[in-house]
Amino acid sequence: MSKDMNLSVNGQSQVPPGFRFHPTEEELLHYYLRKKVAYEKIDLDVIRDVDLNKLEPWDIQDKCRIGSTPQNDWYFFSHKDKKYPTGTRTNRATAAGFWKATGRDKVIHSNCKRIGMRKTLVFYKGRAPHGQKSDWIMHEYRLDDNINPQESINVNASESSNQEEGWVVCRVFKKKNYHKALESPHQSSSSAALTMNSRSSTLIQKPNNDGVLDQILMYMGRSCKQQDIENKHNNNLINNINNIQLDDHIMQLNNTNSFINMSNRFIHLPGLENHHSPTNNMDDVSSLQLIQQDCCSFGEILTEAHEHRAAAGPVEMMRSGPSDWVSLDRLVASQLNGHDHVENITSNGENNNIYFPLHHHGLQLGQLCTNERPNDEDDAFSQSQAHDDDVDVEFWSYARSSSSSPSDPLCHLSV
Amino acid sequence: MGDSNVNLPPGFRFYPTDEELVVHFLHRKAALLPCHPDVIPDLDLYPYDPWDLDGKAMAEGNKWYFYSRRTQNRITENGYWKSLGVDEPIFSTSTDINIIVGMKKYFAFYIGEPPEGHKTNWVMQEYSLSDHSSSASGSSRSSSRRRSRSKIDYSKWVICRVYERNCDNDDDGGTELSCLDEVFLSLDDLDEISLPH
Repeated sequence: MSKDMNLSVNGQSQVPPGFRFHPTEEELLHYYLRKKVAYEKIDLDVIRDVDLNKLEPWDIQDKCRIGSTPQNDWYFFSHKDKKYPTGTRTNRATAAGFWKATGRDKVIHSNCKRIGMRKTLVFYKGRAPHGQKSDWIMHEYRLDDNINPQESINVNASESSNQEEGWVVCRVFKKKNYHKALESPHQSSSSAALTMNSRSSTLIQKPNNDGVLDQILMYMGRSCKQQDIENKHNNNLINNINNIQLDDHIMQLNNTNSFINMSNRFIHLPGLENHHSPTNNMDDVSSLQLIQQDCCSFGEILTEAHEHRAAAGPVEMMRSGPSDWVSLDRLVASQLNGHDHVENITSNGENNNIYFPLHHHGLQLGQLCTNERPNDEDDAFSQSQAHDDDVDVEFWSYARSSSSSPSDPLCHLSV
Repeated sequence: MGDSNVNLPPGFRFYPTDEELVVHFLHRKAALLPCHPDVIPDLDLYPYDPWDLDGKAMAEGNKWYFYSRRTQNRITENGYWKSLGVDEPIFSTSTDINIIVGMKKYFAFYIGEPPEGHKTNWVMQEYSLSDHSSSASGSSRSSSRRRSRSKIDYSKWVICRVYERNCDNDDDGGTELSCLDEVFLSLDDLDEISLPH
């Protein structure tokens, strides 16, 4: 016991030098959370209980400190019991803001068995719906709701049966800003930067990827959404995605800097208004590859595209079949509808044509040409390059070539 | 390897900062002070190819740690370590003044004979004590220690951290946002923009 106290979090002495609490997800769930829900004693008070509603993220680092070594992430147990008055959703509001779930829960596996789920939440300052997004991220782990009773009889079915009840174990950390890291690479000797392990250093070596892609996907997601809202009758997201018009004051809602950043990066990208345009022009190819390279950092989504990059021309790459887009489709679909349209999308995926004419001037997302613009023989490349001034920016709209009538550009977003 | 006398609950791992490696492990080794925990083995001059370190060096999270000596000759059985020409100073964060406590050099592993080897993804970070570390600060705090160290050859010892670059991405254990998470986050922004009403 005294030995344990030697490492006690709350006592004076600490974890030996060089050691950090870096549990795997499996350790968090299988060891710590399981013991917690089973009321078993956990040797060291490594993970504390916290009332999430009373703890602001910036206070967590004090409350959940482990030893005296620098930390990049913090852990605590939280008991989910508070609900919003209307409904069954967990109330994760604090005095200064609230935690909002993002994305979909991720299944955590251990030896190919489901052991739990992970929810990702972001802290917003203020009150919904006007909260201001912060860099504080929380991963909330819960034991699996659907654990097969034959498999594990004594896994406290009562506690974990309802995902809105019971104990969870949480990891809180601050989202890293890789752009900042880039601007000041020599700060890496500060201890915080140093403990960021290999992953971040790898990212630093391939600069500028994340932000740009963020933006692109933002627009892709945006176009999907709008279309979906307005084209309720059409379930097929891919078919839906057509054209968006974004006017200037919508742009202002976005981070202007990053947008400018992005447009600079793509400044050399020729317009590609006609998706049948030849792709063997070397300049075009190389600038398209710029985008491809950016894409590559999105391993999870576009791995496939990455692999094809050497062999296929850029457009072929983007088009290389459903697999490239399936995961993206899936996430867009889930974001929109809360359920998967995967099969649907997959079956149509091969018809997708993608083109991304792009201009940098007006910061407007262009009025969309439908892909059906038949055999437009204009040299779209040189034309758009010559017309740098009156420009629409049209990113990554993609449409299905087989859709027969040029549908009206329905999706102008006017605010 | 590396289990030694550390008895920590699950989830604790050896993820030292540069400063800890230099100040705690390297200084103490050079000063012949006992290291606790004594987890980093001494491989002397390293004749080992990086893939042979497993079982000899301390392994944690696809990285291997060991003590060695400063040398000009970093030739192994099947190749050699070549400097990448990057020298990073290691600062002490324990005081307000930035004191350089050590240096970190980067090496890449080449298979083959020296000038014509094939570059690999293996990277080594070599930590050494800075020769002038004691002159960098006149603080009284370090003066007493300086006296005792003055007989010691600081330049002799190094700590090496070896890893293979492409193994790096999978050891974050979820402490980072995945790319997918980032996308979702961005999509959240759209909610607020496109659904103003």
